[in-house]
Amino acid sequence: MSIYAVNKVCYRVVHEPELRQALADAPEQALRAATPPLSEEELQALLVGDVGRLSKLGANHFLLHQLGRFRLFGLDLPTYAERIRMAYRPD
Amino acid sequence: MAEIVGGVGVPHTPHFPGIVDRDEPLAPELRRLYGAAARHLRELAPDFLVFFTCDHYNIFFVESVPIFSIGVAPSAQGPSDYRELKAYTVPIASDLARHIQAEAVRSGFDVGMSQEFEFDHPVTVPLHFLTPQMDVPIVPVFVNGLIPPLPPAARCYALGARIRETLTGMPGSARVATVASGSFSLEIGGPRLSATSHTGIPDPGWADRVVELMRAGDVGTLVAEASEERLTHAGNAAGELLTWIAMLGLVGCGPAAFLEAQPEFGHAFGCWRAGGPGRPM
Repeated sequence: MSIYAVNKVCYRVVHEPELRQALADAPEQALRAATPPLSEEELQALLVGDVGRLSKLGANHFLLHQLGRFRLFGLDLPTYAERIRMAYRPD
Repeated sequence: MAEIVGGVGVPHTPHFPGIVDRDEPLAPELRRLYGAAARHLRELAPDFLVFFTCDHYNIFFVESVPIFSIGVAPSAQGPSDYRELKAYTVPIASDLARHIQAEAVRSGFDVGMSQEFEFDHPVTVPLHFLTPQMDVPIVPVFVNGLIPPLPPAARCYALGARIRETLTGMPGSARVATVASGSFSLEIGGPRLSATSHTGIPDPGWADRVVELMRAGDVGTLVAEASEERLTHAGNAAGELLTWIAMLGLVGCGPAAFLEAQPEFGHAFGCWRAGGPGRPM
């Protein structure tokens, strides 16, 4: 499945308060119920809030940052920003 | 015939209403800048507003992403994406919107028709400051400035000009103004964010250049330079400039009557009167 599945989860986070609650209460269960299905790599990255990895996989940043805005997967906006910075920091 | 009386361009930063409500340090500047645009619109006394906006992945993302679409519902609520902001029901001039959409399609513009939707903050934040009574019906024109591939700037300008032709060819004496909503350089959540925020201004030089060309009324050069590559370089929200270019196509005039940038945000506030001097395309 393409990265669209991740983008769609982020899109739904903005518009579905019940999904936000489910992701806060039982994140893996809620993610495994997502359609279209997430790949295992995408699911594991989401669960640990690895937005740097998801960015490198091609996730849309406009949508991805909503995970920080809504404080999901251990993120908030400063944490989100720092993880994106780390992912693109020159070696 | 309907009369095109002028237009404004403003940003739609979702934090601005709260900053003003809480009277934070930036509030006086925001009141002054949005106030200038609101005063300009009041002086133009429009019966309708053609409102150019970019969907922020809220309306079309799942179903289909139109390059252009016109909202024809009788009204729409919003903002759908920032429920903490004041909610509005925005009146839509649906008959006029249907006419503009049909005429655009007949003349070769493949413009979609949106019949049921909620507005997101790029519509409600400007209207919150410009027409908070929601007493001027709008014709919402969605320009895909955020989800690649972006339409060419020349096509956006031409769509604005086509809408102008439609309006001026109509019977009656309605006064029509236009609004553009968006930034010139802005990155949201991407790798070019600033050191202190989840947003950034990747190309302040481009934002300066846009303001310089608008100040000179040199829309032709602006359109020529606003390539997809240039806009992409300026940030993942920099395509919002396309709403301003469409607005300028509709107004069909030269230099702004008022133009002031907020360089730290990569955007500006501008006011135009129809029939002004300059070098339109």
